Amino acid sequence: MLILKSVDELLVHIKNVQEDVISLSNESLMKMSNYIEKNSLEVDDDISTALQYQDIITQQLSATIEAIQSMKNSIDIFTHAYESDESLAADSMNKLHEKLNLTLQEAKDKKERFSGKSANNSADTDEIEFF
Amino acid sequence: MPLVIFVDDSETALASTRMVTNSMPIEVKQYTQAQVALAEIEAGMTPDLIITDLNMPVMNGFEFLEALRKVSSTSRTPCLMLTTETKPELKQKGKALGLTGWIVKPFNPAQLKQAISRVLRLPA
Repeated sequence: MLILKSVDELLVHIKNVQEDVISLSNESLMKMSNYIEKNSLEVDDDISTALQYQDIITQQLSATIEAIQSMKNSIDIFTHAYESDESLAADSMNKLHEKLNLTLQEAKDKKERFSGKSANNSADTDEIEFF
Repeated sequence: MPLVIFVDDSETALASTRMVTNSMPIEVKQYTQAQVALAEIEAGMTPDLIITDLNMPVMNGFEFLEALRKVSSTSRTPCLMLTTETKPELKQKGKALGLTGWIVKPFNPAQLKQAISRVLRLPA
């Protein structure tokens, strides 16, 4: 149980760090784009693409924050069940295992979905498709 | 000038599109919430082109598109999806809802300009 409590605290810490990173990267990008617009600077394709990575970073981190929150909820449910009735622990442990696996799979799916035309999959993605 | 509206819950994504469109002969309005854009459309705003993100809280891009099609003034307005999503089944859903096209982020500025020009039939 102590291990789970440590994991729980670690998850909260990671979530907080990720939220700070999102906030800082957002602030950084907005300052750069305000400067570019204020000075009527023209950005080339590479810079434009680089600026857009911030949006992808935010989506990726937000997806992992959701996963962390889901894991934390599952651990909380397990901890509560264990404290209420230790005989339920084995069953609860199995359920926790299933929920964590499901959360991991959902998080991996979102990593793929929110990558867009990033460096990892640019070769097989049409940028613009008209219907 | 034709009115183009951009909807994206990310301020930084909107800033990126602004850098591309500010040299184009179009009027641009940007919204971080689809429901706010929809309310303005229902109140009489008539955009010539709508470019929206897909994954947004409260009202996502598909829900926005469905709502737009129910408003008589935007029932046939061209709409482009600008998103990180690349799954064919999502593109198919968009097509079925009357989407004009699908643009994957991060977009190439020149290609985004071309797409807007093509839909609005702007002179080259």
